[in-house]
Amino acid sequence: MQLAEIKRRTNPFHPYNLAVTLAALLLIAWCWRATEMSVPALLDGWGNMIVYIAGNPDIKDSGFFPPNLSGGSVGKYLLSMLETVQMALLALILSVLIAFPLSFLASRNTLEIILPGQRPLTRLVKAAIYASLRFLANLSRSINEIIWALLFVSAVGLGPMPGILALGVHTSGVLLKLFSEGIETAQQEPIDALAATGAGFLKVIRYAVVPQITPFFVSMTLYRLESDVRSATILGFTGAGGIGIYLFDKLRSYENHDVTTILLIIVVTVAIIDRISATIRARYT
Amino acid sequence: MGQIIASNLTLGYRRKKVLQGIDLSIDKGEFLSIIGPSGVGKSTFLMGLNATTTVLDGHLQVMGHDLNRVGGRELKSLRARIGVIFQSYNLVARLSVLDNIAGGMLHRRPLLPALLKHYSHQQYEEIYEYMKVVGIEHEALSRCDRLSGGQKQRVAIARAIAQKPEIILADEPISSLDPISARKVMETLRQANQKYGITIVSNLHQLDYAREFCHRVIGLNGGRIVYDGPPGGLCQATVARIYEKKEPAQASDIVAGPFPSTLPLPATALN
Repeated sequence: MQLAEIKRRTNPFHPYNLAVTLAALLLIAWCWRATEMSVPALLDGWGNMIVYIAGNPDIKDSGFFPPNLSGGSVGKYLLSMLETVQMALLALILSVLIAFPLSFLASRNTLEIILPGQRPLTRLVKAAIYASLRFLANLSRSINEIIWALLFVSAVGLGPMPGILALGVHTSGVLLKLFSEGIETAQQEPIDALAATGAGFLKVIRYAVVPQITPFFVSMTLYRLESDVRSATILGFTGAGGIGIYLFDKLRSYENHDVTTILLIIVVTVAIIDRISATIRARYT
Repeated sequence: MGQIIASNLTLGYRRKKVLQGIDLSIDKGEFLSIIGPSGVGKSTFLMGLNATTTVLDGHLQVMGHDLNRVGGRELKSLRARIGVIFQSYNLVARLSVLDNIAGGMLHRRPLLPALLKHYSHQQYEEIYEYMKVVGIEHEALSRCDRLSGGQKQRVAIARAIAQKPEIILADEPISSLDPISARKVMETLRQANQKYGITIVSNLHQLDYAREFCHRVIGLNGGRIVYDGPPGGLCQATVARIYEKKEPAQASDIVAGPFPSTLPLPATALN
């Protein structure tokens, strides 16, 4: 390669790079205009937000502070937060039970262990399994938990159960995608070595694939636990159980001091879950 | 009757012939090494013996199985009788030495205890014996990514022995190792050969190790066998012939590997 060519290809101000930068700027401008984003509106309205949060001195009980700390309501909210976490845990277990086994069928490398061979029919079957699982995963996770919750409320009525099902379905789609992408990053060599011993595919997966991806699985699952808890706090809006019922109710009736109490409980709970997750994750490296 | 019999064998991949006209018979209990320039098809030959590379023409018989038409269950049970050792060890990094060695026994264990990684007392004893054979019992519960290269390769040999194989294929088992670890690995292979009567077919780049450890050496060049005999017969002229730069017989359908332009002889090879 000529030096001139090397210089041309490594020039940071290459016309191609400039064009990409310009395109990105145009994209931002286009979105900004279409959505009527406005910095002045935010600057002008800033004061209103402070009044909304801190309260208008002329109106009794306005604003979010101080939080309502009367024993009765805090106890009630804590209990329903506990129910929210229980919902999220059950939903997470449900989704891992669905996503974990399916993820080995939704990854090219493990599908090759399960159905080895390059004959046209085998390849067709593999392509069909792969595509349909990826499609199901896309479908279940592109429909929001709230929509799933509405559907399940109509099926099984109000309460935590439709919430659990909604979270479970949505999260299995997310985990199926994450797990199978994780599996596809597994090193091929140990898999080849164990396949060469003549062991069956379940044993090869157990000994050569699962150990490799355990840290990734653990970390993704724990992340989804946190995110299921966060989602579960909103599901109550549809009548699907959890602390969201109170949150929705108090927001609607402008009992903002109670809203603050609920939000504080949620924030602290998520922080606790984050600490526990970090401890568990550290054990899997 | 040979344990491995090749007659007029052509091996390779789809549309790529790598080795041609191979006639060869290997008996049970031999310790054999294959030498030759890089890219000449040593690994292709080795991997042909467990049907990883395809027989394109001629015949290849391994332990009575015709590799021209082996597949499915028959192939699985054949592979269970052949251990493989790789240059890059191919261990499961996050598993302990114990579990990695147990990986070799998977084909003869019932499914449920295997999935739970539950070992019977007998299996513990068996694995412990293999650990002692390769001298790794003091690291039994260490994760394999904490071991040195030589230790890893000895774990890989233990895994292959745990298969209770009749043949071990060793694909450049010592290429990534320092001389001391390499010697230890070769000695371990010799022990597997002598103690369990396992046939060992190994690719080597180190001629002095081939001379010291093997009963028989096969030299490949230009896609063909150019030497087959005892290591004592490797005189300087023979070695030069094995490693000389050679135009492939049919340049169009033989993979022209990266033939070295100069003789890749280690200084020790010619003494």
